Amino acid sequence: MGTLRLQPARVGAFTSKAVSNLWSVFDVQLAFYALGLTVIGLLLAYTNSAAAPLASGSVFGRALMWLALGIMAFTLAASIDYRWFRSFAWPIYFVNIGLLGVTLAIGSGVGGASRWVSIMGLQFQFSELAKIVMAIVIARFLTSRGERVGNLWTILGAGLIVAPPLALVLIQPDLGSSLVFGAIVFGALFVSGASIRWLAVVVVAGLASIPFVWNNVLADYQRLRLIRLLDPSSDTQGSLYQVTQSQIAVGSGGLFGKGLTNGAISDRYLPVNTTDFAYASLGEQLGFLGSILVLVLFGALIWRVLLIGWRSKDPFGLAFAAGIASMLLFQVLVNVGMVIGLMPVTGIPLPFITHGGASLISIAFALGVLQSINMRQDRPNW
Amino acid sequence: MFGGAVVLVMGALGLRLFDLQVARGSYYTGLSDAQRTSTQPIKTSRGLIYDRKGRLLADNVPTFAVKIRPADLAAAQRPDVVARLAELLDLTPESIIETLDRNAASTFDLVRIASDIPTETARVIAQEHLQLPGVYVDVEARRDYLYGPLVSHLLGFTGAISADQYEGLKPQGYLNDDVIGKAGVELTFERELRGTYGIEEIEQDAQGRTVRVLRTAQAPAEGNSLELTVDVETQRTAEKALRWAMNLVGLKRGVFLVMNPQTGEILAMVSLPSYDNNLFAKGISNADYQKLLKDPDHPLHNFAVNDQFPPGSTYKLVTGSGGLEDGKITAQSRIQTRAYLTIGRYRYYDWNHAGFGNITIYDGFAHSSDTFFFQVAGRLGIDRLAYWAHQWGFGEKTGIDLPAEASGIIPTNQWKEEVFNGQPIYPGEVYQAGIGQGYDMVTPLQLINAYSALANGGTLYRPQIVRRVLGPDGTVVKDFQPDPIRQLPMSQETLRTMRVAARHVPTSRHTYNLVDLPIVMAGKSGTAEFGVRDKKGRLPFHSWFVGFTPKNAAKSASDPNGYEAVKRTDSELAFLAFAFDSRTKGNAATEIVKYFLQLYYHTNVDLRINSLLVRDNFYGN
Repeated sequence: MGTLRLQPARVGAFTSKAVSNLWSVFDVQLAFYALGLTVIGLLLAYTNSAAAPLASGSVFGRALMWLALGIMAFTLAASIDYRWFRSFAWPIYFVNIGLLGVTLAIGSGVGGASRWVSIMGLQFQFSELAKIVMAIVIARFLTSRGERVGNLWTILGAGLIVAPPLALVLIQPDLGSSLVFGAIVFGALFVSGASIRWLAVVVVAGLASIPFVWNNVLADYQRLRLIRLLDPSSDTQGSLYQVTQSQIAVGSGGLFGKGLTNGAISDRYLPVNTTDFAYASLGEQLGFLGSILVLVLFGALIWRVLLIGWRSKDPFGLAFAAGIASMLLFQVLVNVGMVIGLMPVTGIPLPFITHGGASLISIAFALGVLQSINMRQDRPNW
Repeated sequence: MFGGAVVLVMGALGLRLFDLQVARGSYYTGLSDAQRTSTQPIKTSRGLIYDRKGRLLADNVPTFAVKIRPADLAAAQRPDVVARLAELLDLTPESIIETLDRNAASTFDLVRIASDIPTETARVIAQEHLQLPGVYVDVEARRDYLYGPLVSHLLGFTGAISADQYEGLKPQGYLNDDVIGKAGVELTFERELRGTYGIEEIEQDAQGRTVRVLRTAQAPAEGNSLELTVDVETQRTAEKALRWAMNLVGLKRGVFLVMNPQTGEILAMVSLPSYDNNLFAKGISNADYQKLLKDPDHPLHNFAVNDQFPPGSTYKLVTGSGGLEDGKITAQSRIQTRAYLTIGRYRYYDWNHAGFGNITIYDGFAHSSDTFFFQVAGRLGIDRLAYWAHQWGFGEKTGIDLPAEASGIIPTNQWKEEVFNGQPIYPGEVYQAGIGQGYDMVTPLQLINAYSALANGGTLYRPQIVRRVLGPDGTVVKDFQPDPIRQLPMSQETLRTMRVAARHVPTSRHTYNLVDLPIVMAGKSGTAEFGVRDKKGRLPFHSWFVGFTPKNAAKSASDPNGYEAVKRTDSELAFLAFAFDSRTKGNAATEIVKYFLQLYYHTNVDLRINSLLVRDNFYGN
């Protein structure tokens, strides 16, 4: 770990003139794709609170509120010079670990878990924010490695950094989120030039540790879900129920879908249709075309994120972008894969689509940081 | 390279989506439609029951019932749920568990735990539904019997369907938690009263709760209503007369029947002791049920139909008419009556140990001379006697629409040999059979039906208890017409002779002041011995009176004795009183009939003789 070193901020960046100049290189595409996904998410929130979408406290009402907070987070993050985050990465890291500790201590969740903390009556999952913090910290770490990024110590150091928050999330217990941490770190290492050979060794070691993880880390319900995924012939009313129902919902959507508000299966058979299985609801209502549209938007968004990283001349920018892109890709793969029966059931939300405040605000914040990175590069005029 | 990963992941997900939604979309659409829909029965309301004047006898009232769907109650939670439920319902946990364990139906079928629970209890159970998984409070209709014990033997009652019944009736749409008619017309007219449950297609959620009704696959049809032949006012009058004498003497059991001889319609059927059928409709407690079952006087028994007794002298109708029809006697021929007749070393006494002299059938019937009818029976022989008995409807069920009808016993030579290991009937037993003693057994219903046939000129009708079946909208679905069993194969002259003989019963003052009623009535009293002799060698006995009044029964000056009136065949009122184990000084049944007629015809005289209704082992008429 490097020593805490304050870098001189460019005071001029905060003058109005400079800011307006900066916004002229705002990545409109990034914002457009993100907004497109958010609108689809809102649409689902509206149809899933069909009884009284405009009543206070409805899924739709809360989604609107989260959107407003997300736009604020995005604007704020974009306005701040990303280098401040780089500078304050370590303090932020420790605050983050503290918040995760608090979540464990006072948090609540379903079935004895403690995954979220209630703030003014709203549930907030700090593990969502912790993902972004992880991307910042790992990017900061990789920046500090400089020329030594290719040796084994980079990978071991990254492992040491990710271990504490990962462990705190894992014992909530939230296997899904802890896997996302892994994805962020892996993506950042991969793109930043870490040794592919040693990464491969880590992956192999990870696979080799599966029996140990199986026996000592995984909770019973998690083991059960994995077994069920491998053997789908088990009864449909049991643990596999959601997966089966989810596939029926998506499959019955057909090419064009049943139309908005007609999500009969996802509405009544999937108890978590507004959260983890929101994509199933989307697939049923909007069909193949709608489902593919969402995947295309995600693909484009991830592409823009990576592009910002590659354009950035700062290794921090590249590593952070890679971490976020990797996170997005991983979450899409796991969540959509779960909905359509390719992945085991894990509580990983689908960014923008799953209705959850922490997820949306965190991702908006991350995109804001990316915009900040994008706007604050010396670039040729292209 | 990262870009390649993005393309790979999106491509794989897209392919799978294509497979699910486009390639196999119709398969999943089918699954989606199939799993959401299910069918459930639509219950319908049971038909009502009215009396012949349209008075409501059986109504439906909404009540709460507690049911358990075993599939929704996890085994681990069962003890707690059962304990709490037992506390709320004032039952023992064991009885609830027994009810659940006895359930032979599917675990998805509701099992009835308690019926007609108080509203307050229903509310508490509904509020605690989170702690009581699988427990449901159903609003359902139960029977309300507005006249309770007065007509309970006729109406019967409904109750929870038994496991055996459910097995058999499931194909007809009965449900595990159904109610079904268990006695009376509730049982015999179950098919009409129940109606037809409908079927609706519903959409269910994952928990099996109904989300909404999609369509009605089969509309329910409400049950039809019954209009009984009984007139509650007549029933009340009959019960009042019967109860009066029973209370006065301390009798335990009695029957009063009223019938219209022109149609076979039962106008009143009282069997005492009775019971409150509302107890059953509300779901009778085991203690109450055991009490009714163990009552020595069998309140659940309809003695008019379900039991048989020796008819005593009322049976002389059979012997007399048979003798006349077979030419063994004529209306004018006389028979020497004596104190007793002798066969071998046995003496067969007349009830009057002085005899009545040389008399015709009119006097023989009027004074109920046993030695007169011994001789007629002897001339007929047992098989001709039995033949005529069967013609009058004895020894066979009348076919009334009430459950568990007894058929009675009419001995023949063959019957005696079959039952008594080849012993033939003895001449003395023929004598006994001729006066309704010995092996003769009849139901009160058979007896009034025979006298109705006498009154109407020889048509034996099937007694009817239901007059009309009415649809839910009040239209007449079925109008029961008089249903003749047979025209008696005897001449009108014989029947007329027997009616006049029956009029001689009161006019001879054999029945004391019965003749002083301002109406013309005819009939026959009877005393039937049964059981074990007392220390003085006397047997306990039942008393009977069965008779009829002609239409326009008021006495007229042109026919002071009423003989002309009873020659007519226009009678619309036959009646029967039966006092079980009466042992009274006078004939209790005669006094009951007298009081009934006074009430029924609103006579201004009261001719009741309370002194006759004193316990005194008198017998002999």
